Amino acid sequence: MKKSWKQMLGLDILADKYSYANDAEYGYTSAEKVPERWVSTTCGYCSVGCGMKVGVRDGRAVAVRGDESHPVNMGKLCPKGLSEHHTLQAKSRARYPLLKRGGRLERVTWDNALETMVGRFGEIQRKYGAQSLGVLSTGQLVTEEFYALGKLVQLGFGTSNYDGNTTLCMASAVSGYKRSFGSDGPPGAYDDLAQADLVVLIGANIADNHPILCQRLAENTGGTVIVVDPRVTKTAMLADIHLPVKPRSDIALLNGIAHVLIEEGMVDTAYVEAHTTGFAELKAHLAKYTPARVAEITGLSESQIVLVARKFGQARAPFVGWTMGVNHSTQGAETVNAICNLSLLTGKLGHAGASPFSITGQCNAMGSREASFSSALPGYRKFEDGDHRAELAAMWNVPVEEIPSKRGHAYPDVIEAMVKKQIRGLWIIATNPLVSFPNYDVLMQALGNLEFLVVQDGFHPTPTTEQADLVLPAAIWGEKEGTYTNSERRVSKVNAAVAPPGEALPDFEIFMRTAGQMGLREKLFPGWTGPADAFAEWRRVSKGRLCDYSGITYALLETRGPVQWPHTSDEHGLETRRLYSDGQFEYADGKAKLFPIEWKPEPEPVNGRYPFILNTGRTVEHWHTRTKTGAVAMLERMSPRAWLEMNPSDAEGLGLEMHDRVTIVSRRGAVSGVELRVTSIVAPGQVFLPFHFFEYNSNRLTMSAFDPISREPNFKQCAVRVERSV
Amino acid sequence: MSLPLLGRTADASFCRVTTGGAAVAEPALRAPGAGEQYRFHFDMTKCIGCKCCEVACSEQNNNPVEIQWRRVGELEGGIYPLAERFHLSMGCNHCLEPACLIGCPVDAYSKDLSNGIVLHSAEICIGCQYCTWNCPYGVPQFNEERGVVGKCDMCHNRLSEGRSPACVSACPQEAIEIELVNIAEWRATGAFAGNAPGLPPAEHTMSTTRITLPEGINQTLKKADYHRVRPEHPHWPLVFLLVLTQMAVGGFVTLLALGSAAPKLAFLLATAAGHAALGFSLLHLGRPAHAPRAMKMWRRSWLSREVLFFTLFAGASAAAASAAWFGSGLLLPLHLAAVVTGLAGVVASAYIYMVPARPAWNTMRTLAEFVLTGAVLGLLTVAACGANETRLWASAAAVAQAALFAGKVVSMRRAYEFELRQSARLLERPLRRHTAWRLGLLLLVAAPVIPAWIALPVALGGEILGRYLFFVSVVPRNMALSFFSGSEAA
Repeated sequence: MKKSWKQMLGLDILADKYSYANDAEYGYTSAEKVPERWVSTTCGYCSVGCGMKVGVRDGRAVAVRGDESHPVNMGKLCPKGLSEHHTLQAKSRARYPLLKRGGRLERVTWDNALETMVGRFGEIQRKYGAQSLGVLSTGQLVTEEFYALGKLVQLGFGTSNYDGNTTLCMASAVSGYKRSFGSDGPPGAYDDLAQADLVVLIGANIADNHPILCQRLAENTGGTVIVVDPRVTKTAMLADIHLPVKPRSDIALLNGIAHVLIEEGMVDTAYVEAHTTGFAELKAHLAKYTPARVAEITGLSESQIVLVARKFGQARAPFVGWTMGVNHSTQGAETVNAICNLSLLTGKLGHAGASPFSITGQCNAMGSREASFSSALPGYRKFEDGDHRAELAAMWNVPVEEIPSKRGHAYPDVIEAMVKKQIRGLWIIATNPLVSFPNYDVLMQALGNLEFLVVQDGFHPTPTTEQADLVLPAAIWGEKEGTYTNSERRVSKVNAAVAPPGEALPDFEIFMRTAGQMGLREKLFPGWTGPADAFAEWRRVSKGRLCDYSGITYALLETRGPVQWPHTSDEHGLETRRLYSDGQFEYADGKAKLFPIEWKPEPEPVNGRYPFILNTGRTVEHWHTRTKTGAVAMLERMSPRAWLEMNPSDAEGLGLEMHDRVTIVSRRGAVSGVELRVTSIVAPGQVFLPFHFFEYNSNRLTMSAFDPISREPNFKQCAVRVERSV
Repeated sequence: MSLPLLGRTADASFCRVTTGGAAVAEPALRAPGAGEQYRFHFDMTKCIGCKCCEVACSEQNNNPVEIQWRRVGELEGGIYPLAERFHLSMGCNHCLEPACLIGCPVDAYSKDLSNGIVLHSAEICIGCQYCTWNCPYGVPQFNEERGVVGKCDMCHNRLSEGRSPACVSACPQEAIEIELVNIAEWRATGAFAGNAPGLPPAEHTMSTTRITLPEGINQTLKKADYHRVRPEHPHWPLVFLLVLTQMAVGGFVTLLALGSAAPKLAFLLATAAGHAALGFSLLHLGRPAHAPRAMKMWRRSWLSREVLFFTLFAGASAAAASAAWFGSGLLLPLHLAAVVTGLAGVVASAYIYMVPARPAWNTMRTLAEFVLTGAVLGLLTVAACGANETRLWASAAAVAQAALFAGKVVSMRRAYEFELRQSARLLERPLRRHTAWRLGLLLLVAAPVIPAWIALPVALGGEILGRYLFFVSVVPRNMALSFFSGSEAA
């Protein structure tokens, strides 16, 4: 710390810096944090979708506050949100386009950068075919950008090998919903957490990962809260009943509950008859999931299973929420089906409190699911459906043949195609696979096969931008306009508070300029000048679909606040709404499907050489791969590095003590120097490692095992051993 | 801009001003009446450990990242799957008997009688950091770039406008509240409801924070930072201040005992040591320019008394030394004045450190250690100047010092208090080499065969090492912190 002589003598105590002033709206606070104006926007971290205000002074964001009028968070924010303005001024922001020349990234102009990108991708596609270009995007952009990017990639670049990092996160929920209900789209709302008389959270540590949702749980004073998690998470401590299941036994538990529901006559047969198909097969399938067998698989007692099943059967409004404990699995989509089975069997969904509800990951994973044109056609339309393709072709004024009739490669299959040298050019947008994709060595091999890698990100350097041939600096949250849609289908306005640093541009602008460079701007984006034009077109495209935005306008969002879809006109009130209240589902016959789901053991069982099951997850202070939160000093201080949780009995057996540095070894790699936390919150035989840290990269350990339906990786379980670091 | 002082009228109505459509007004909180004050209420059953309060507090007060006026700690225990984990969020406890205030030498602290808030004035503070040793919760923290300490003031400026403190406003679970406490009733219960696992006993300072604990909480839950023992700040200027003042006082006492046989050179050496010590003391202060303020609270603060006595000692010792050098008849009264002020200063020094919040210091051993340092160095100084008859006494003092040190380690190891055991653990594990050297040097000094002029610098080094260990091996009382708290940065 550099001090002036006045500071050293104590004649200057920086009184101005530490003085207070009265903000008209929020009262006394540090004088340096009193802004000239507050800009309303939506948080750019997770999918809870909190409303916030960014305070701007002298062109800098100096403060954030929770928006008290926002129906999601009612003025509260989590520690990441409360410090989000610091991410804007991070030293690690990407400021200029950089092109690799002679092994070094050098600054170039935007014109030069985009000319190079379009030129190199064009060469590759001419040489290896249109599908040799892959695009990996994100859940972090605004819906307008997802919509524009989808058209640019599929109709402009003409490749369908395009997917988002949402496949590392939400794909199982998407696939599960599609299978059970005929369409994606979480049916419930956050209010359900407060209104349910039974809340079941499966593999969802909301206290760490979606803390603002805990408010709703706190409002729920009469209901029972059940948390299903192998680890005694902060959320488990909030539960009335914690079910410490063995890892990956959730399907057995869900089947066991369904078994008891059927055995004890708690099925709503009229509802099942009228609104579902597949009951007979399901009933036959469930016969073997007796409480005794389920107890053996899950490690719970028979009486616990029967008790929970009865609670579910007797509940007026059961809410089942889940996150990555369910999705990050080779059976993720099927687990979602097993959850939906329970709601369908009891006919308890679509009304207040009752919902099978996927709590989404990123701020706009939902917008990506609805509008991105990656895993589905925009507006939950299907690639396979000729009518859907024709509809879009007509609206877009393009020949129907330009619209692919099947989905391209999903994220892990893009990586595999890179390994096989089928994909030779890659465009990565706002994601950091070197930290977030499983089995690091395979990913590095895949990247090594590329002829040209473009990484478009708000931050540089990140482990991924360092691999790039071309880095495109992007604006981030706080610097651009559009909309985010949260887990409860609520569309919320996002606004620019400050200008991006250096020459960074909003992703929207980068997409427009890229289209211009290709000579396709007028074809793809006729007359568009800003995100509002994209939103206008997206409203038309979504009209009549389940995710109908046609009645939502920027003006409505700005004046009346965030709105849930479907919203077709202003007559629609702003009250909380749910899907499928009328029992009409999105399959052609209007019925939902019941799926018989088989429990399978985890893909990599432990053995003598690798005796521990490694579980991965998050901590409240960090966001995903830490490109943002790693730049916020106070979050870094709270959680400066990874740790490994191990049960005291295992630590004793290995002669390890608290704070020892350990090495974790799997069949694929090792992570060294991790600080040991000896704790009873994990079971004997299991260890837990947070996945945020490139320096202690959990994905050097995880394996290339993917859900055959959703293509989501199995991040949650693999076999490891633990040794003292040398 | 300076803080607006509380200018509320007694009938100010307290309810939060909401700006948005969703009114979440808190129940109106009236201003404290006679015999009442504000306090925090923390509900452990509601806290989810999200640390929003910590972030909101740092934002509110523009504090640098090293400083947290509100901190969230973790408590853990039980056996899987019946593991238990709870969180503890605390700012300042606005105690009825604030140890920070009582010790402050410059009266930078005040307890606002209208609302009970313990306020700290950065303008008055000189950065001596004595409050950071006195508070058993680790609440006041030194801000390096300002040169002063700071602490939670309950956002009194917000309260005065009917708004909640930043931590209260930010908490998504409504786990933190401001409420009123009847002071006499709280005192009568010994602040019982202010206790929680992982906290020092509330009655020591009459913490006013009320804590709602989960029913049947396991009282043996451990702090998440239980196993992280980290050496404390060495405070080098204070190491030198203590050792050199003690050497000077020891020298003057020895010289007084020798009477007419006292070597003149020893007067000069002892005086120089005392004056150098005062110079070092300035380096300790965050605001050395305001050092003279330190004497202000001599009626209450041992630190003020120390500064006062050593300032007088500096004058008396210089005068006595010149009297001895020039053979003045005033030598005896001046010499007596130096010895009296000097001894009083050494006693005051010891009492500064004998504070309940720092158990390893809070013992008469501290006074004994300081006196023996004075004896070893004072006797050797005089011996080195030619009065050989004091050499053997120095050996005896060194043996006593070694026995005292060894005894301290052994008794701390067996202590009931966690902080004492951890102090012993520090000396026996990460600092074991230092501990061995400390004992070795004392035994070397004790050997009479070593001439005084060699033994003196060796002893000086040994006592400096000893005082270094004194500072770094103390484990302060504190609230439970989190797993990474106090760890080195990433």
